[in-house]
Amino acid sequence: MSHRLYEQLSESVSKHQDAALITITDHPDVSVVGSKFLLQKNGTLYDESEFPLELHSEIIKYCLPLLRQNKTKTVQIQLNGKLIECYVEVFPVPSHLIVAGAGHVSEPVAEIGKMLGFYVTVIDDRLKFANDERFPFADEVVCSSYIDFFRNVPITPKTYILLLTRGHKFDVVSLQELLRREESMDVEERTKYIGMIGSRRRIAGVFEQLKNKFADHNFVNIHSPVGLDIGAQTPTEIAISILAEILKIKNSSSGNSLKEKISSYSKLKFRERSKK
Amino acid sequence: MNNIDFYKRVMSVREQRSKAAVATIIRTKGSTPRNTGAKMIVFPNGEIYGTIGGGCGEGEVIEKSFSVIKSGVPSQHQVDLTEGLMYEDGGICGGIMDVFIEPVHNVNDNESLHSISI
Repeated sequence: MSHRLYEQLSESVSKHQDAALITITDHPDVSVVGSKFLLQKNGTLYDESEFPLELHSEIIKYCLPLLRQNKTKTVQIQLNGKLIECYVEVFPVPSHLIVAGAGHVSEPVAEIGKMLGFYVTVIDDRLKFANDERFPFADEVVCSSYIDFFRNVPITPKTYILLLTRGHKFDVVSLQELLRREESMDVEERTKYIGMIGSRRRIAGVFEQLKNKFADHNFVNIHSPVGLDIGAQTPTEIAISILAEILKIKNSSSGNSLKEKISSYSKLKFRERSKK
Repeated sequence: MNNIDFYKRVMSVREQRSKAAVATIIRTKGSTPRNTGAKMIVFPNGEIYGTIGGGCGEGEVIEKSFSVIKSGVPSQHQVDLTEGLMYEDGGICGGIMDVFIEPVHNVNDNESLHSISI
């Protein structure tokens, strides 16, 4: 990949614009194999070399739908009797993980969240806690009041929010602000996940108040208490439990053990595959 | 590791004028350890950055990558994991994957291909 193409790719990613990197992986002329292109969602195609426009328009025709569907795939293009194979790799805008509260649990959450490919924002209203030294892995550490932050932060279906502040009242204030904003949005436009830490009793108290105040919000994206039941105790264990739950939602999966799909090991059969 | 960080590493290898190859799974069939898009950088000493799933299949691709590094010509390699369930540690998955292997060109190499006929 040329330096110029890489710069364009990283610019797209940092500006939160979807892009696809396209590599010719097969072509009758071997000198062309390995050539790369960058395609943006608006249909702009950057060419590393100088291929004819005829090929450009074919690439756009085949690859733009994949970019729109966020699908990394290899496609074959027929052009003037030649078979051209292109590997299309999409670079979707990363999901956004917002961690409200910069306490003990938030540290491993930010670190593991980053490892999982999220764009991670940590917010706290205390400068002593909300700083880059404590969160070297976060993409962004914000010091602001919770209410101001949640009044303005962009919300999309790729936003995952965790309310882990030091006091339950800050969690509730943040949650109320989010519910207020989401009530005026279509269900598909809302966040996929708002997790709030807390005991069953406390949560019962909170929703006792909220159910009347936000009658138009179905609460389906609220997860409280947070996390999957894996017996988590330490901050790192809790972080794994929470992020496992977030992945389950993000990937629309069950969260069950994979072995549950197998009823009995002794009844399993293995068949040697016959060669074509 | 997300993809942009992977390419960042590729570009730094390129700028250091080191030799290496990038192997990418471009197509899979059946059950494979990783899906289309999994990638690794292979260095001439056999070290890798990233993984395409480990085991014998990955070993095969590392071998092929050495010849790509040497020749500077990209190629495709098919890893077949369908044969023999208990064969070494390789066949545990039972699928097939196509891997595209390309050299990490050094700066200024091959950057001025002009007017290619299609």
